[in-house]
Amino acid sequence: MGRRKGQDKGWFQLDNAAMMYSAIQSGNYSAVYRFSAVMTREVDTQALQRAIDRTLPRFPGFHVKIRRGVFWYYFEPDDAPGPFLQPDIQNPCQPVYFQNKDQLIRFFYYRHRISMEVFHALADGGGALVLFKTLLAVYLRELGEEIPNEEGILDVDEPPDPQEWEDAYARYTRSRVRLGKSEPRAYPCTGTREPFYTLNVTMGFVSVSALRQVAKSHGASITEYLSAVLIQSILARQRREGRRRELPVALAIPINLRPYFPTRTLRNFILTVRPSIDPELGDYTLEEIISQVHHHMRLHITRQEMQGVITRNVFLQKFLPLQLIPVPVKNFAVDLGYRIAGNRPYSTTYTNPGAFRVPKEMEHHIQHMEVVLGQSYTPRVNCASISYGDIMEITFAGTVKETDVERDFFRTLVQDGLHVKVTSNRRE
Amino acid sequence: MSYCVNCGVELDKDAATCPLCQTPVVNPVCPVDTTLPPNFPVERREVEPVNRKELALLLSAMLGCAGGCCVLLNVLFWWQGVPWSAIVAGACAMLWVWTVVPLLLRRVPSIWMLGLDLLAVAGLLALIALATHGWDWLGRLALPIWWGVSVVLLFLWYILPRRSILSRCMLVLGSCVVLMLWLEGCIDLFLGGYRPMWSLVVAVVGVALMLPLLIIRYRPGLRREVRRRFHF
Repeated sequence: MGRRKGQDKGWFQLDNAAMMYSAIQSGNYSAVYRFSAVMTREVDTQALQRAIDRTLPRFPGFHVKIRRGVFWYYFEPDDAPGPFLQPDIQNPCQPVYFQNKDQLIRFFYYRHRISMEVFHALADGGGALVLFKTLLAVYLRELGEEIPNEEGILDVDEPPDPQEWEDAYARYTRSRVRLGKSEPRAYPCTGTREPFYTLNVTMGFVSVSALRQVAKSHGASITEYLSAVLIQSILARQRREGRRRELPVALAIPINLRPYFPTRTLRNFILTVRPSIDPELGDYTLEEIISQVHHHMRLHITRQEMQGVITRNVFLQKFLPLQLIPVPVKNFAVDLGYRIAGNRPYSTTYTNPGAFRVPKEMEHHIQHMEVVLGQSYTPRVNCASISYGDIMEITFAGTVKETDVERDFFRTLVQDGLHVKVTSNRRE
Repeated sequence: MSYCVNCGVELDKDAATCPLCQTPVVNPVCPVDTTLPPNFPVERREVEPVNRKELALLLSAMLGCAGGCCVLLNVLFWWQGVPWSAIVAGACAMLWVWTVVPLLLRRVPSIWMLGLDLLAVAGLLALIALATHGWDWLGRLALPIWWGVSVVLLFLWYILPRRSILSRCMLVLGSCVVLMLWLEGCIDLFLGGYRPMWSLVVAVVGVALMLPLLIIRYRPGLRREVRRRFHF
């Protein structure tokens, strides 16, 4: 098993991705994402608070405080009561302020909707969904339903499993080659910035079976098809701007590494791939973009290549001269590095945690699932999608006033014969 | 249910416009139902901002400590007849105005803060003059230079945010030219007589740089061409 230094002493180190997210977290960047479940019944707040109180002790890695050491941040268990259920707000995924001792995990309710917001340093979407699924099961049990511990639901009466909190990046640092190169600048896809603390969310709902059929007709998976449509929308936006020299449009697509590297960890274990289209080479049809995205993802999502990237990332983390740099300097350097290497080469982010599967006994209690990503450094929209049953939910969230990217995206889906229902938190 | 006539997407029953293209919903068969509760909450929440008062307190303590210690040392030990500590204390007070006041007065317009910073500089100059009996150079050299720098800075601070990049370049260049002419004039008059030399060279270079910018600024064809060529 990987390094778990300090866990016996009541604290544990941040993993490779968590170090980056904690360093770049600021007032104008939110490394917070949200999963919501829209239930068939209105939320019973007392039962849900009881469910939170019962579930969180099983997931000690989520109930932690972040502390600043001399050289690194670290987590320590949060003994304070809570987290407490709160009424939902219009502007979700607000940044976490370490100075204010903000909770790193938050729970909200609004009518039928139960929402959970997680600071990305704690876990990736795959890990957070295990907690959310278990919480929903415990909540339904509190309402008197019989829900078995199946489909990834953990038994809250069992003691926490230390393997769920291993640093899987450190465990799979085996490759002899350190892969990674600087990527070229991509079209930034920015617009007019909204006033501070605004997050515009637009959601679209599509039938999964119809979407799969359309994607299949193009010879692609759902993720590849939606990525290609998103790239096409951004290309069209860039063309409308009338730039003399057009920049490549590139997406950051997080890949869940668990299917490639067996681990039970609930902490971060993702890498990103970067499919891109360079319009300077000529105009691309949707078919050609889909083909590019499809082949790029199949070519680069391999065990060996990803292990090389993990090795490079962990090497930087373990490199002694870098380790000895104090946290404030390191934060500044990581923040700068992220703006150059983590933000500039991407037009936007698209993430698809996949299908949210629950036991049959739970299915009729949930209408659909939702996912929202927090705000980026720059005023642009991020895209995320999640499916539940036959409903695929696609969210565009950002601090930008214009709606042209999501408008073109959903119009393309409609042109491809898909029925799309749209809703938004924007005020008219 | 209503659909957007432009986008073809289905809309919420309570949506008065399409969230994607803002086209109003006009559906006589299914009018907008404003009685329905909204799909998203309407309450906004803002995270409590970082406590700046603590930082202001820390800076005040540091500056106060430095100034106070110097005054004590001056009074009790070193060069008791020379009020050197007044200059250090004045510098600390000026730094306090520069750093702590912006932390405490968050809502005051920045141009007022700049004016306050410039007044703090004038105060320090006056204190130095008082400590060194230098009213002559203060009145004839320091204050005129301070006045010129203040006018130029306040003018640029006020005017720059409202201008295009070309106008900004021209205004900065022009201000530099005026400031240099004023500076040499002040120095020459203090030394005896006005004989402009180096400031004229700066002025010629500045005007030579400003002229092409001025032509580009007021010729739309040229402006478009430059914008096209420099648009990466």
